[in-house]
Amino acid sequence: MKPVSKDDHIRGNPDASVKIVEYSDTECPFCKRFHPTMLQVMDEYGKDGKVAWVYRHFPLDQLHSKARKEAEATECAAELGGNDTFWSYLDRLMEVTPANNGLDLAELPKIAEYVGLDTAKFNECLSSGRYAQKIEKHVQDAIATGGQGTPWSIVVGKNGKKYPLSGAQPYEAVKQLIDSALAGK
Amino acid sequence: MRALFDVLKTKRSLVIAVCVSVFVFVLAVWLPNLQLLVAFWADSGVPVIDKVALSLKLVPSITTNFTLLSALYTVLIAVLAGINTALIVELIRNRRMVAGGVTAGGVGIVAGALGVGCAACGSLILTALVGTTVGTGVLAFLPLGGGEFGILGVGLLGYATYLLLKQINKTTCEITL
Repeated sequence: MKPVSKDDHIRGNPDASVKIVEYSDTECPFCKRFHPTMLQVMDEYGKDGKVAWVYRHFPLDQLHSKARKEAEATECAAELGGNDTFWSYLDRLMEVTPANNGLDLAELPKIAEYVGLDTAKFNECLSSGRYAQKIEKHVQDAIATGGQGTPWSIVVGKNGKKYPLSGAQPYEAVKQLIDSALAGK
Repeated sequence: MRALFDVLKTKRSLVIAVCVSVFVFVLAVWLPNLQLLVAFWADSGVPVIDKVALSLKLVPSITTNFTLLSALYTVLIAVLAGINTALIVELIRNRRMVAGGVTAGGVGIVAGALGVGCAACGSLILTALVGTTVGTGVLAFLPLGGGEFGILGVGLLGYATYLLLKQINKTTCEITL
């Protein structure tokens, strides 16, 4: 797995003891279902800096042809508004998409406007395709870590141990994994 | 159908059917995270109570990581696998032929397992066998996104149950030429 760095989109404390690196596809219904679980994780563990959520792109083109463009849209949001805007954009995108390739791509600038971005600049960024290579690097990293579907997460403990978590698992299971990773020696 | 109830009426057959059903169901739910469970259980730094807790807490993922269709066929496959095993044990005890039913049942479980991983947007076993790109390509081509494997599994296990019951119902010895 590519080490977590300042180039990543990190929610919470970048120096947290436990980091959850999630490889996700914005049109996957299970990623949409898993998103509130991760928000709940950050609500419980993020406030006191114990856990950080790292988001990486893993669009499954054959299943969801729109997901790659949506991933680029989140990168444009990050470019224009910074890390917080990236997460606001992602939260809103996950909220409004019906999943399974159901989002009308015309919604992407509307989401940009919703999170307070300049839509003209956003559209210019999105049409430029300048983040295509970055998305592809994330995809290759996901596959290299053993990702075969989405959501695919890797929980990195404070001792550096990595636990792979596949699918939209229940909150209680994720919590158990985090507690064990926090207690890890 | 009466033969099925007759077999399951005995305590031994019922216990076998229930145990195998629970085993297959739990295994199917754990399947996407076998790698995690192996790593977790192998980690000497994790207390046993945490290992057990995580294993149990992954089971409710049938409600979060499965579609209604995949949850339905996962339960059906588990139940049918349990019934098939109880019938096979009963036939073996009575020294009868079970080959046809066992083959159909075995193929059914394999086909069903191919469908299980589809729950997480990309079939686990299928993509593990042929790679993520080819695997998701195959899933995109299938109208039910891989649910076909699960339905095929249920069908084959149902057929296996039929073959085994037919064998149990036989009351005469046939001449083989």
